[in-house]
Amino acid sequence: MNEIEEIAAYAISLGLKGSFDYVEAYGEENSGTSYAIEQGRPGGASVSKSSGIRIRLIRKGSLYTYSTNTLTKESIRKAFRFRHFNGNFTSLSEEKVEKADYKVKERIKIEDSYKRFFSDLSDIDNLLGSTGVKLRGVYGGIGRARSYFANSEGTEIRSNIPYISAYISLIVSEKDKSRQRMVQVGFTGGYELFKVDKINSRLVEEINAMRKVLSDGSDLSSYELSKIKNIVVSPEIVGIAAHESIGHPSEADRVFGREAAQAGTSYISSNNFGMKIGSEAVTIIDDPTIKNSSGFFLYDDEGVKARPKVLVEKGMQNELLLNREYAYVLGKKSNASARSDSYSNEPIIRMSNTYLKKGDSNLEEMISEARNGIYIKSFTEWNIDDTRSFARYQGNEAYLIKNGKLDKPVRNYKLDISTFDFWDSIELVGNEFELFPGDCGKGEPMQGVPVTMGGASALLRLR
Amino acid sequence: MMHASEILKEVMKVGFDEAVVSAHNYNSIYLKIANYKVDSIVEKRGTMGSLYVTKGKRIAFTNIEKLDIQSVRASIENIKRALGNTKPKEDYFGIASGKFKYRSKSIYDSKIADTGPDKAASLANDLISKVDASNLAGTLYLTEWKNELATSNGVDASAKSTAARLSMRIFRGDFSIQDTVASKRLSGIDIRQILKSAEFMEYINAKSKIKAGTYDIIYSRPSAGALLSMANTMACMGNVESGSFFTNKLGSYVADKDLSLYDDGATPEGVASSPFDDEGYPTQKTKFIENGKLVKYLHNYSTAKKYNTKSTGNAGLVNPEPNMLVVEHKRKQSIDALISSIDRGILVTNIWYTRFSNYLTGDFSTMPRDLAIYIEKGSPVFAIKQMGVGSGIGIRISDNMIRMMKNITRVGNDFAQSTSWETIGTYYFTPSVLAEKVKISIA
Repeated sequence: MNEIEEIAAYAISLGLKGSFDYVEAYGEENSGTSYAIEQGRPGGASVSKSSGIRIRLIRKGSLYTYSTNTLTKESIRKAFRFRHFNGNFTSLSEEKVEKADYKVKERIKIEDSYKRFFSDLSDIDNLLGSTGVKLRGVYGGIGRARSYFANSEGTEIRSNIPYISAYISLIVSEKDKSRQRMVQVGFTGGYELFKVDKINSRLVEEINAMRKVLSDGSDLSSYELSKIKNIVVSPEIVGIAAHESIGHPSEADRVFGREAAQAGTSYISSNNFGMKIGSEAVTIIDDPTIKNSSGFFLYDDEGVKARPKVLVEKGMQNELLLNREYAYVLGKKSNASARSDSYSNEPIIRMSNTYLKKGDSNLEEMISEARNGIYIKSFTEWNIDDTRSFARYQGNEAYLIKNGKLDKPVRNYKLDISTFDFWDSIELVGNEFELFPGDCGKGEPMQGVPVTMGGASALLRLR
Repeated sequence: MMHASEILKEVMKVGFDEAVVSAHNYNSIYLKIANYKVDSIVEKRGTMGSLYVTKGKRIAFTNIEKLDIQSVRASIENIKRALGNTKPKEDYFGIASGKFKYRSKSIYDSKIADTGPDKAASLANDLISKVDASNLAGTLYLTEWKNELATSNGVDASAKSTAARLSMRIFRGDFSIQDTVASKRLSGIDIRQILKSAEFMEYINAKSKIKAGTYDIIYSRPSAGALLSMANTMACMGNVESGSFFTNKLGSYVADKDLSLYDDGATPEGVASSPFDDEGYPTQKTKFIENGKLVKYLHNYSTAKKYNTKSTGNAGLVNPEPNMLVVEHKRKQSIDALISSIDRGILVTNIWYTRFSNYLTGDFSTMPRDLAIYIEKGSPVFAIKQMGVGSGIGIRISDNMIRMMKNITRVGNDFAQSTSWETIGTYYFTPSVLAEKVKISIA
């Protein structure tokens, strides 16, 4: 990182000498390996090592970002030709000057695990093959991201984060029927976190369940579907709902229109801050500090110290996800939500690990309390509207609940529901806690960042 | 800075069976428009290379950080280790051979290349001033790039090109509309196309709600392209093998008999066009659905060899990749005529969040976004209230790709290059299309 730190120091000195109100430099060194195995055939190994730097400048309220992988003073000087434009005026919130150097601990180093990782992915593929799943893909990447952040206010942050992720797609067929499933695992930390036996057990369980849904599942009539009012949702369903219908609309850049032509708008506006979103049982948190999670970081990409953010507290909208720009707009401090997927893109407001805070019910109690209804364990298709008010979560594995017990599987359950009906109808919240990794896309150019979503299961009683 | 052919010489000293080297540099500007003003500018510059090698059917990729000899040697060491970590791909049949003649030419517009951030801001402010709206958001994207490709099988090619894209979401009263223009030339960024789309907001003053049910849908150009570009993606052989709605359907009718679809990497005006694909094979225009029948899958050299056919210029070095979709239909009408022909339908101007519950069956749902107009007995009756800005509700389309393509009975006469945020980086030449009998659900 020495080369990057020298260039960063040079950039900040140029900014301080020139008439810039703010200068920051963010450099990155990434190295890693990824593999693909499709239909049992290895698709090749990919090794990468890359580095680059991003300079962000504010001059007379104009925000400009310059990125390059040419780490020379000559290249960096090009950024400082920027004057200013006639447009929105950007200011940043005042934040504490931070000095930090943090590293995620690892027992088995990522760099020592490249070969083993391919072998482990092959084991997963073999397991899928042995269970008769012909249409399948196993994809995985491991590596290390090291970053250096410095700004003209004196903040300096170094991070060193090893990561592992794997993605398994499969189509299970029975006669002329089929179902599709994507399973993702992801961690920040050493290779000891990647447990193939655990992944394989989960896959066997899921494949058996999908076969059961195909062979024994029933397609309910529209009338029968409309009569379902008591719904138990697993942490996977709660997680996608928390991410899509609470996390995204809590992003301040949506609330204030910056993403209106891209990732969309929000049902939250400055006219309804503090609005009621759900029942008292609903508290939703975004927390980047969860160890070994995919969405982990201790300082965001503006050098602000991370902390858990309570987006919804006891059903009421509580806190937006803020970067320094929107913290200034609201007269607040940033809550460290600025992330970029690469040195080459601007940091924008993102989620990290978003979840429903656990309650005190167990799953059996909730199924028993539901009496008659449905339990949705996992989903396939999902989508949501521009303001994040109307979503679909289509059941992959779903079971009828009859007389307080799980009954036969249902093939065609789709929960089409408004955000407010979903969260307001939550009566009980489970006492378990599980996070599911995903890649979240936003912005233009599109930036994908690793996140998790989940929390506890819940019982919904629709009115 | 080393050229691709020089890097290739160094790489082939090591004794790989095959190698593909690309050397690439780009300068791009993304200018963001928010709340009717220029909001921020991102300028990106990069110079990098990539290396692909095979040895005994083992395959490995790596990047080349800098185009100098130290980086090249480091990449060679990395890729040797990567080869050792993997196993042979038994159904791999190599890369294309030959010195090819490239008929397609790249378009390079120096006006794009000469537009720095300050000039881009002036251009954006000029464009913004032409829009009458209650609010406006969008992006102006300008890029120039140069790519060199050299392969161990005789390819030594280069291309340089430019592209520009303007996307705007225009808010007026309770509704919004979003459209995008894209071109290889700055002069192709004609805001009149976006303003014409915005005229839909003047079509009708009334607003009301619709009920769930079955409707004929006119998908405007960007939404038609976003949905139908799944067709050339899923016609690529890697996806066909993994499970696509075209798997085992070669020779079958998968679309309306007047509908033909092409994958086109060669049309110079196409923003995603290039004279050659990733292994240096000349790109082409490939008709894969002809008068409703699936007649061809899309291949690179290796998959073509595996299935005893010819490459369609769609490399992807391991799996084929789509180029640009071209939609052709024998029954073209003006948008007004399409509307007149509908008994009960909806004009959908934009979609997003298209998600497939099963790629093998083609079942999907998608969310209309921005203005949608209810049509009854041949006339636009009202703007759909559920689609209003901040309405807090919405409507959802549920359909199946094959069923939808079979029900595209007419198209508009507004054929043009298009894209949408849903499929950013993917471009298509398409008109608006009419798909009959589509299921709509509401909250």
